[in-house]
Amino acid sequence: MRIKTNIKIIIISFILFYGNSLFSQEQKSTQKDSTKVEELEEVIISATRTKRQLSSLPLPAQLVSKKEINAVNSVRLSDILNEQTGLITVPDFGGGEGIQLQGLDSQYTLILIDGVPLVGRSAGTLDLSRISVGNIKQIEIIKGASSSLYGNEALGGVINIITESPKNGFKGDANYRGGSFGTHDISTNINYKKNKLGVNAFVNRFSSNGYDLVDTDVVNTVEPFSNHTLSSKLTYDFSENTKLLLSGRFYHQNQDNVASETITGESEINEWNTLLKLDHTFNKKWNSYLEFYATQYKAEEFLNDAIGDSFSQSDFDQRFIRPEFRTTYKLNSKNAFIGGIGLTHERLKRTDFFGTPEFNSPYIYAQYDGNITNKLNVILGARFDNHNEYQSQFSPKGAIRYKLNNKIALKTSVGYGFKTPDFRQLYFDFTNATVGYTVLGYNAVSTRIPQLDADGQLLSVEVPINEFNDGLKPERSIGYNFGIDLKPISNLKISLNLFRNDIENLIDTRVIARKTNGQNVFSYYNVNEVYTQGLEFNANYKLNENLTISGGYQLLYPKDKEAEQDFKNGQVFARITPSSPSFRLQKEDYFGLYNRSRHMANFKIFYTIPKWNLDTNLRTTYRSKYGLFDTNGNTYLDKYDDFVDGYTIWDFAVNKTIYKHYRLGFGIDNLFNFKDTQNISNIAGSIIYGTLNINF
Amino acid sequence: MRTFKTLTLVAIAILGFTSCSNDDDATPLLAVESEAVSNLHAPQTGGQGQPIGGEFTKFDFSTGTTTTSDTDWDIAFRGTTIIVNGGESQGTTDEPSRTGNAAAYIASNTFAGVTSVDENLFVQDSQSALAIPTGSDNGWYNYNSATFTITPLAGKILVFRTADNKYAKIEILSYYENAPATPDPFTDASRYFTFNYVYQPNDGVTTFE
Repeated sequence: MRIKTNIKIIIISFILFYGNSLFSQEQKSTQKDSTKVEELEEVIISATRTKRQLSSLPLPAQLVSKKEINAVNSVRLSDILNEQTGLITVPDFGGGEGIQLQGLDSQYTLILIDGVPLVGRSAGTLDLSRISVGNIKQIEIIKGASSSLYGNEALGGVINIITESPKNGFKGDANYRGGSFGTHDISTNINYKKNKLGVNAFVNRFSSNGYDLVDTDVVNTVEPFSNHTLSSKLTYDFSENTKLLLSGRFYHQNQDNVASETITGESEINEWNTLLKLDHTFNKKWNSYLEFYATQYKAEEFLNDAIGDSFSQSDFDQRFIRPEFRTTYKLNSKNAFIGGIGLTHERLKRTDFFGTPEFNSPYIYAQYDGNITNKLNVILGARFDNHNEYQSQFSPKGAIRYKLNNKIALKTSVGYGFKTPDFRQLYFDFTNATVGYTVLGYNAVSTRIPQLDADGQLLSVEVPINEFNDGLKPERSIGYNFGIDLKPISNLKISLNLFRNDIENLIDTRVIARKTNGQNVFSYYNVNEVYTQGLEFNANYKLNENLTISGGYQLLYPKDKEAEQDFKNGQVFARITPSSPSFRLQKEDYFGLYNRSRHMANFKIFYTIPKWNLDTNLRTTYRSKYGLFDTNGNTYLDKYDDFVDGYTIWDFAVNKTIYKHYRLGFGIDNLFNFKDTQNISNIAGSIIYGTLNINF
Repeated sequence: MRTFKTLTLVAIAILGFTSCSNDDDATPLLAVESEAVSNLHAPQTGGQGQPIGGEFTKFDFSTGTTTTSDTDWDIAFRGTTIIVNGGESQGTTDEPSRTGNAAAYIASNTFAGVTSVDENLFVQDSQSALAIPTGSDNGWYNYNSATFTITPLAGKILVFRTADNKYAKIEILSYYENAPATPDPFTDASRYFTFNYVYQPNDGVTTFE
């Protein structure tokens, strides 16, 4: 026995460290998911926090399967999400790529891995290129405010990345993708499960030489980088009813940091996540989960001058801990309840910060999911979040799906969402070294303004300090969704969803004091009321076993209510060129919020040729024109501003399986080499690549 | 007949002349002056965290030119700051003292749309605030921190009472030398004002037509 265990350990360590080919002759009996599995009902976890049939869900949701990720040879999460209807990743000034969902910014979409949140939003954006897709089972996208289950940040929606869990037997894979810009992605998955113990591990290295869209400067658009992801899950089934999961993920990235020819340095990211989950089924009705999650995200960067002296240094160190207990209760086959209670603890250490702030937020939630009749499904839920800094938040949600007949179903949902002000909006204490302006977090104002005044730096105080006594309010939204699911024939699925998100207390900056150096002191305040509304359309047509065609479209109107009113009142003016006289704008001249396109669309063809063991696909995504800045001097985006032109990107991939366990792939992302060097920093041009996958 | 005609003409001419000279007692209205000023240079020292100084570039509407007079000026420019010759000095380095009765306000309108002044809206410079407020989006310009560009806000017309109680309106068109269509703050010299103005030289007339 003892020897056996030792061997096991040795084997596992071999797998972890040396990877793949050693075991290629073993355990070939366990096959990859066969096509039959895919014909089963798709299951989604994120919508209700229980396993739930996607097709009968009353909420707007989308799944991206491992099959699709493999077919298009995606390597980073940002790649694959960009191809989904209504989603687009948008680069921010820090170089991160955040997701825009139903026209809402990246900071309003909660990103989860296996149900627990990722942190590390240095300027509000969570960079999705941080996440490798090599061990993903499926990606679940829930649209519409979802704070009733998930609390903070789930204002626009939730994206949950479900990674593979250990499955019976021994298997693994090794993958390589090499492409343009010196990009290499190497990964391996190892899986083992026998009886009670299961373990899997995923190792990934992703590196690139970066690229440069603007030749005239010394700085590259993306500097060379390399990153490593190591992720592992260990499951132990004490019994049929009691199961333990321990999972860990570690991410490390190194990137050159270049400010000018003489001022250079490096930036480094270290992130780890760990989740311990105990799952116990008491009986057919009761099931409980105990979770403990902890994560830390550290980003450090420095710049040195030519002689090696420090020019600048900045650190960002966020820690997040969340224990949670939840229970599901199945009254009968038609009515189910879920309830949970937990605590979120967060801490941030950061350069240019006023102290080391900590947040504590206990919460409780409950949800009912019931089939009132065979045709009517109802979800009702609510969550209460207490907070040591803000007013407590109550977030209810309700959703109904009514099946008219086998071909038509109607669904509608209304939910609340909120996002508490982040640490930056409260504790920032930053003075720009070259220009001289100052940004103060809301809570830093009452201490720092008198200090600045005493130092003789202030000319005048524009907003009295006592206005900062009430506390910055969380941003809140109500999301409305109304959809129709159609299945006119068995191989055609059509869905249409109308959405509207009303957001209040949006946080913006304003001048609170003027400095003697002619610059301003800024702080944050609740001001804007914004809405995004539009419609989303998806169609999927399976012509036959081998040919699937799908398409999607989103129409979007994102607007600031106050700006809309200003246009209505004739208070907005514009110039044709900066030095021509002003004229008055009309109501219909208001374009809406920055960086949003009115139209986004995608179209995909997946074609399989079984006798050649070949699958191929052609995908295209379209984004209509959008504005990045006000260019005609009125601070609003109107139709006379300069816009970034709309564009279309075509992608092509072909994969061939040989000798059963080997798969060769070739593809071109951005077939026609689309680039907009002035405006779009995250599109590098055509990427030609090849892949090799080995299953064992 | 002919003589009579001539005499009549002479008489009419004389009549006309005398009536003209009668009118002279009531002063004829001077024409409203519509002018354009290009590249008014308004340098400053300091900034970017350092104390601001440097002489203001003073402008006199009645002559339509810059001036170095201590008293005979209406408005003055330094960097993005615009002061009026009325009210109190804020006491910054090299700031001139106010000797006149000038004042200003900002109207949200097109340049042509400002047809008269509203005397109630005028404010003068004071210790706490300038009549034309400083800062991005507060007064006449927007500073885009992404492109580092100063752009005059569209539809912000600066309305002035001059040091000697006449009226003028200004639309600033550019802050960069030679008013380029798309200014590049790295290559185009800044602190060069290009603006249109209309000056009403007549006492007590509040319209610009």
